[in-house]
Amino acid sequence: MMGGWLGEANRAVAALIAAGRWLVLPVSLLLFLQWPLRDLVHAYSIAANDLAQWLFALYVSLALTEATRVGTHLAAASFAQRYSPRMRRVIAKVAILLCVMPWSIFVLVAGAPSIWQSVRTLEAFPETANPGYFLVKASAFLLALLMLTQALLDVLSAKDAR
Amino acid sequence: MEWAGFPMLAAVALGLVATGLPAFMVLIGVALFFAVLGLVAGALPYPVLTALPFRIIGLLENDLLQALPLYVLMGALLNRLPLADILFRAGSALFARSAAAPLLSAIGLGALLAPMNGSVGASAATLSRVVEPRLLASGVSAPQGVALVALASTLGVVVPPSLVLILLGDSMLRAHTEAINATHLAARVINTQDVFQGALPPALLFLATAIAVAWLVGRGRSSRLPAVSRLRAGEWLAAFVALTAIVALLVAVVSGHLYAVEAAATGAVALFAFGLITRHLDGPILMAALRDTMGITGALFALFVGATTFTLVFRALSADAPIAALIAAIPGGPAGAAVATLVLLGLCALVLDAFEIILVIIPLVMPPLLVRVPDAVWLAALTLLALQTSFLLPPFGYAVMTVRTLSAQRVSDRALTRALLPFLAAQLAVLVLTVAFPALTHLAQPASLAATPRSDAQVREQLENIVPIAPLEDAK
Repeated sequence: MMGGWLGEANRAVAALIAAGRWLVLPVSLLLFLQWPLRDLVHAYSIAANDLAQWLFALYVSLALTEATRVGTHLAAASFAQRYSPRMRRVIAKVAILLCVMPWSIFVLVAGAPSIWQSVRTLEAFPETANPGYFLVKASAFLLALLMLTQALLDVLSAKDAR
Repeated sequence: MEWAGFPMLAAVALGLVATGLPAFMVLIGVALFFAVLGLVAGALPYPVLTALPFRIIGLLENDLLQALPLYVLMGALLNRLPLADILFRAGSALFARSAAAPLLSAIGLGALLAPMNGSVGASAATLSRVVEPRLLASGVSAPQGVALVALASTLGVVVPPSLVLILLGDSMLRAHTEAINATHLAARVINTQDVFQGALPPALLFLATAIAVAWLVGRGRSSRLPAVSRLRAGEWLAAFVALTAIVALLVAVVSGHLYAVEAAATGAVALFAFGLITRHLDGPILMAALRDTMGITGALFALFVGATTFTLVFRALSADAPIAALIAAIPGGPAGAAVATLVLLGLCALVLDAFEIILVIIPLVMPPLLVRVPDAVWLAALTLLALQTSFLLPPFGYAVMTVRTLSAQRVSDRALTRALLPFLAAQLAVLVLTVAFPALTHLAQPASLAATPRSDAQVREQLENIVPIAPLEDAK
């Protein structure tokens, strides 16, 4: 159990992910509509693709953290299953501290200037000039930010933050 | 820091097995460790690393990768809606006169669902739940049941337009671009469509052989009335519509009338509509499917993120040079190089799954291999066949292990190997045939993509355009 700001942060991440789960439905619908729009209506197909693109980027940025929370990451655990649960928890926390946290901090720091510039100018899709490309770039920032938040929750909580 | 190539790969393999950590964490961890070493040694310029956020943005704006959550959604819906069950019962009813009916239905259902399900793991989950209990109820032995479900689960590796094919198509496109840039050859870069068309003839050949084997094995067994309940008129209609829709989608994608992403979206929307119309898709089922979809999509993208971090550092350290040199030194000409690389991929498949191989190993071995073997479509088809064979090799093959984990039956290695042997022999025969006759992979497309193999001297010169490699004398 987590209390205080840890609990608040955990609930906020959970709520954000729960809302994001639905995004796969409009993405499916928009990509499905692409071919009748292209072949029958002869219009709006590219707009549908661009809209689906940033919804997809937003969905994926949330999905990585969801995979961590529900434990669906691909792993070759047949040998490590012999370790005690405590040992496996220690290995996981060390890996979060040495791998996930430095990685996500690096992505946030190295990507921030370019992403901020894109958001500030509300950058449009370069090939079609449709609005919303800045959301694709912002999704990369969100992806790293959520991974860092989840890593902090996992390291600081007594048990797994789920 | 060219020397870092093999240590980095060894560290990934060791990290995966010894820690049991998620593959993406291991890839990121190894990349970070060697990046720091490179920075300290002055072998890695810091600005190269700052490309990482843009590589991640590149993943998020990749058109092809949009198909990924759609396939996962289809798999999640299939796993919860009764469509797979209806199709299996329809197949059993159609072949009811043959004692091999359940076996034929299992393979038929695998062939229909595999391209929709996308991944071996997702197909194994659906088929284990739907098919295996019915096979056992029909008198099929437990080893035979596990073998059939494992076989049917791997059909998505070769039958387009599955997720594995889409991702391999993307990886091959990048590798082929690198090889063509190095060789300055006037050839068209292959795309996902070419990979679909190249994989289809061997896939159909294998499917026909597997059906023949199942019929031969099944007709000899003591006949027991299949324990399938009669289909209602609505279920027959659903089976007919589903079969027609799947075949139409397959034809539309392979013929190029529909992009793979659009086909995946159409399948997902159609399944969603099927669930709503038949009233099987209620709130809790939809929520569970959405939860599964996001969890699995996140896991696959985490692998992309790990692989893109790993390959960025790997390339920046020029660690791919020893691999290119090794592939250049494989004796036996283009065919020898292709077969040796396939064996390597097969060995990797005993530890890694298809996605890890496609995202981490293929980008490293394919560019230098494509310099020696310019027929990219042939290589892509061979890669798929080799992966499929490896997934079925008992006891460590990925499909075999997954189905055994999911199955309630305890089956010995020996009994399972005996049950799988005829199918493995059929698979090996198709693989050998495809190695011997590359034209088989060009039946569905013009042969313009198959370029002439080059001499060893030419290959060496061209490989140096990808990475500087040491003279052969020094390497000895």
